[in-house]
Amino acid sequence: MHPFGDLSAYMDEALSSEARASVQAHLDTCTLCRTRLAELRGTARLIAALPMPVPSRSLVPRVSVPVWLAPLRTFSTFASGAAIFLFLALSVIAYFPRVQSAGTAAAPAAARPAATGAGDTSLQPPSSLNFGAPSPSAAPVVTSDRSGAGQSATPGDATKEVGRQDSASPASNSVAAQSTRVSNAPVPEPAPFAFLLSPWLWLVLAVAFAAISFVVGRRLRST
Amino acid sequence: MRPELGGASDALLDRARRGDARAFEQLALEIERPLYRHAARMLGHDDAEDAVQDALLSAWKSMASFEGTSFRAWVFRIVTNRALDRLRSRKRHPELPLDPPSETDDSVSWAEPTAPGPELADLAADREALRVVEDALATIPADQRACLLLRDVEGFAYEEIAIITSTEIGTVKSRIHRGRLAVRNVLISRGWKGSTG
Repeated sequence: MHPFGDLSAYMDEALSSEARASVQAHLDTCTLCRTRLAELRGTARLIAALPMPVPSRSLVPRVSVPVWLAPLRTFSTFASGAAIFLFLALSVIAYFPRVQSAGTAAAPAAARPAATGAGDTSLQPPSSLNFGAPSPSAAPVVTSDRSGAGQSATPGDATKEVGRQDSASPASNSVAAQSTRVSNAPVPEPAPFAFLLSPWLWLVLAVAFAAISFVVGRRLRST
Repeated sequence: MRPELGGASDALLDRARRGDARAFEQLALEIERPLYRHAARMLGHDDAEDAVQDALLSAWKSMASFEGTSFRAWVFRIVTNRALDRLRSRKRHPELPLDPPSETDDSVSWAEPTAPGPELADLAADREALRVVEDALATIPADQRACLLLRDVEGFAYEEIAIITSTEIGTVKSRIHRGRLAVRNVLISRGWKGSTG
């Protein structure tokens, strides 16, 4: 009986010594089995000679972080934390001027209950409530003007003065004088860091840090 | 045919086991091409890249638990399993049974040459012959193909192939023989003879 089933293992030297000797003995006498063995050897040689395909990209996952990328992990963490902090700061700054302006407006309103009308600009919402940049010179000028008017006029006079302004009467000399006082009043220097109170600044910073954190994090995940 | 792990690779293996990512990358780089070659012949080029990348990533994740000595055989085992899993999931192209039939090896038929043709030994440099071999490999069952490639292309021993494919060594012997015989029969049917190969 031909040991066809053992020919491949014989060829690959995967038989036990006894089985190998048995097959060898058969091959010495069997031309057909020698032919089959030669065919299997030729087939194996052809399979081994197949061209090696090449991948189109690197298949080794980058499980290590490059040296230049390592500090970015810390930076990404910092940026995400900074973004959260800035959003919180934005909320506080956007809310705080309301409380402050409401407090400053309540005191004069209580002291001068009659001083209502177009001339009382302290009851108007400050510009920061509209998320606009604060005008550092407008509020102080009005305040000084009001204080000046408070020194020379009673609340009743103020009402009369407002009435004169509204009617645009010829007796507007007092208005002109008032304007003169306004223009002559010393304009206080704007606070050096007043721009820090702009919620827009904090919003832009928060969005910028959030974007940086997102981009760096994505880059780190892709490596 | 098969690069053995030398002292430098053993050191890399120890470092990779301890979590050295660069050592693992270097080890993986050494066998990237053979892994892709094996996966491409098992799956085709489209899925082979993803299969190899997934296998290498899986190897890295379980590197600490690797207790063997042959990193190459271990990763080939992962890739082979991935490839066989993917082939099983391909419903639209039903494969032949993964487990060999219970018939004996002696019952496998040997095709006879239909007409005189070139010797197999002369075909190694013939592109047409290699294409025929590739086509023949694609037609045999996946488990036979895996064993045959691991033996004839990658040069693994039967014992290693048994570990890689999680089968008995007798099954490996049978699959290699059947696969080789199937390829031989395709070549013979094309009019070639390999009596002096």
